[in-house]
Amino acid sequence: MTETKKAAVKKATKGVKAPAISPRKIRLAALLAVMGPGIIAGLSDDDPAGITTYSQMGAKYGYRLLWVLVLSTLALILFQDLGSRIGVVTRQGLIGLVRQKYGARSGIFSASSLIIANIGTMTAEFAGIAAAGQLFGVSKFLSVPVAGMLVTFLVLRGSFGRVEKVFFLLSAVFLSYILAGFMAHPDWGQAFHGMVVPSMPFTRDAIFIATATLGTTLAPWGLAFIQSYAVDKRLTRDDLKLLRVDVWTGSLLTGIIGFFVIVTCAATLNRQGIFTITDASQAAAALKPLAGTLAKELFAIGLIGAALLAASILPLSTAYSVSDLTGRPAAIDDGFAEAPLFYGTFAAITVIAAGLILLPGAPLVTILLWTQVLNAVLLLPLLCYMFGIARDSRLMGEFRAGKGMQAIYLLIIAMVALCIGSMLWFTFH
Amino acid sequence: MKKPAVPAIQTVTKRIVGRRDSVLARKNIRDSLVSVAGLIGCPVRDNDGRDLGKLVDVVVRHGEETYPAVSGLIVKVGARKSFIDGARISKLTRDEIRLSSTKINLKEYTRRPGESLLDADVIDHQIVDVNGLRVVRSADLYLAPLDREIRLVGVDVSFVSFLRRVFPGTIRRRATPDRVVDWATVASLTDSGGQVRTAGPRSALAQLRPADLADLIEDLVGREQSAFIEMLDPNLAADVLEEMEDDELQGLLRGLPAERAAELLALMEPDESAEVLRDLSDGHRESILSEMTGETANILRQLVAFDEALAGGVMTTHMVICKEDDSVAHALSLLVKHKERDISDGVVIVDNKGKLRDHIQMIELVSAEPLTMLKDLIGPPFPTAVHIDTPIDGVIEEFSNNRGSSIIVVDGTRKPVCRVMADDLIDALVARSAKRGFAQGSSALT
Repeated sequence: MTETKKAAVKKATKGVKAPAISPRKIRLAALLAVMGPGIIAGLSDDDPAGITTYSQMGAKYGYRLLWVLVLSTLALILFQDLGSRIGVVTRQGLIGLVRQKYGARSGIFSASSLIIANIGTMTAEFAGIAAAGQLFGVSKFLSVPVAGMLVTFLVLRGSFGRVEKVFFLLSAVFLSYILAGFMAHPDWGQAFHGMVVPSMPFTRDAIFIATATLGTTLAPWGLAFIQSYAVDKRLTRDDLKLLRVDVWTGSLLTGIIGFFVIVTCAATLNRQGIFTITDASQAAAALKPLAGTLAKELFAIGLIGAALLAASILPLSTAYSVSDLTGRPAAIDDGFAEAPLFYGTFAAITVIAAGLILLPGAPLVTILLWTQVLNAVLLLPLLCYMFGIARDSRLMGEFRAGKGMQAIYLLIIAMVALCIGSMLWFTFH
Repeated sequence: MKKPAVPAIQTVTKRIVGRRDSVLARKNIRDSLVSVAGLIGCPVRDNDGRDLGKLVDVVVRHGEETYPAVSGLIVKVGARKSFIDGARISKLTRDEIRLSSTKINLKEYTRRPGESLLDADVIDHQIVDVNGLRVVRSADLYLAPLDREIRLVGVDVSFVSFLRRVFPGTIRRRATPDRVVDWATVASLTDSGGQVRTAGPRSALAQLRPADLADLIEDLVGREQSAFIEMLDPNLAADVLEEMEDDELQGLLRGLPAERAAELLALMEPDESAEVLRDLSDGHRESILSEMTGETANILRQLVAFDEALAGGVMTTHMVICKEDDSVAHALSLLVKHKERDISDGVVIVDNKGKLRDHIQMIELVSAEPLTMLKDLIGPPFPTAVHIDTPIDGVIEEFSNNRGSSIIVVDGTRKPVCRVMADDLIDALVARSAKRGFAQGSSALT
């Protein structure tokens, strides 16, 4: 009897050739089995705060700063790739490794900053849900608690496989930005020029937007998440090649979505002289007279999907990190009784952030500003820690970063340091 | 130097019912323990109290002793990190270290095999708490004078102790042994060479169920997985491997030398070994098989060649075959000789041409007279057998008709070649249900 197709797929996922079906199908099956960490972690970076930043960039500077997005995407590709590789090779989350390699103080500093920054970012995700809901006439007192319950229920009740499928479904919503982009009829020539020819007005505002773009694309919680998620998915060294395809696809898609948001706003808001917008929902509302009701609705739907995806990932990233720090690694497939700290952290982050949004008089603008600053401050040491782990042969063995890659990582870290330094200087002066 | 008498750690470490951590509760023990995390950075002085440098790390040498002795200190003198032999420590408290002489070898320390640096290799690393059956991170380590030497006696796994280390001064140095695991029940897997040197937990590990050990191994990092396996008795290690998930096992085998992998696979049930080997790449499989004896390698090569969707793909070659003219005593002696193999359900009887006649249960053998010929025991119900190319579904159907714990597999001439065990069929069904989704898999079981 010839091999059954299912048995062949099972073999294919282990990288063994099965003669009964074509090699192309086997590769696809194996790739689908590995897919997840890169796409989910990448796209969740395009959260409401990210969409807002991209919208502001497009509205204020048109196509001019698109090159910043190109650089950010490159940095995202390289560090998400590194994070996933560290996860697979060491089978430990980032915060646990920081504790192991750099000691108690570094571990606690990273974890506590991550917790505070993640509560702030989660608040921003709920703010996005509230704003997008209001575009459809839904009160935030309904949309935010429902979203909070949805994400908690999903992770608390779902198995790893089911949770990942929901993440993929949510990711599909991002396609709406691409549709909205085409409907806005952007100037592709100018867009290409903006991508490859760097120019930068040396103003406080432009530097803020550039840093925010870098910070929202390469977020600390995303870096912590991809590593822990690769561990939770129990990927092995054999999966690394396919995982790289996943990470590159996810990071590129993140950049492509950002590109379409920027060109949508550049072709409509910027061209019509609407330079100042405060959030992504305002951008969506402004699109209506310029690109039609459908474009506005696509933009708003994208925003809700983006917020829900990020609102699921953020508490998950925090829960992984806290479990890692305390030395009790946990997984989505664990029950509540096995991993109370994991689920407790997840619930606490969600409840606190939802509470901050619903609390009348909560200083949201201040929270969001400080969240951005904290994320920026945290990003730099995290990248340095990852760089240190990447070149540690005892941890990484044969997967240790070579001299050339080390130089590239250092270049990115220097670029991030420059942006963050400038941003902090402008923040406090 | 006179060192305070300290009772052996085993006598003070007690298991509290309902709690998995062993606890060092007595105040006098707490006072004599020195926190390694607190010690790092402490001044190292000569006998006259002059500062020589600052402590960077504590070196222990692992041997056959349960509690490894401190073999030396790494001290930062100026810009150099120097090694000071443990024999020269005259006083070691939580606040300072004094040496009996002022001479310091200014040669840079280089790692030696069999040694661990406690701060660099063990603190904040994963360890296996054998009693608690879990992988944890060590928050601190404790030293105590024991048998005229300063020894590593316990691992602190509490979060409070971890937090304490963030603070400066006396808070950081104060031992807080609320949840201390006895070093004798810990497997530390991260010394300089990635080799396990802890002697204590070997016997404790041997008491654990293979399935529990498999869970522990699956929680470990790759390099530590192989180190952990190396620590187990080969027979136990083979049982543990049988309990591991396929993907985990593949990863583990990649981390082991081919020679060791061959040794363990040869000890496993042939069908289980064949299943593992089948999923390896051709090159890796051959490198392992070439390390086995010719006979074992040939059997496994044959089994690997069978399709896992057929009876031949899940069968085990462990089976005792007797001729019908043999005596009951002979059959029993063969069963005793191969008692390590899973053959407890009886012997297969063949005629002079080697064709299957019957399967005699163990209970029939032990209740018969030793000199009785086996052919006298032949009689209904006769066992059903499946052909080597029967699909798994057909084997399941025959199995449910047969109601035994195994079913005989025959070749085209009705010669018995192997058996399919009930647990192998369950494994095949579980693998299938995992592929199809639980609902379909469970219906296949009914």
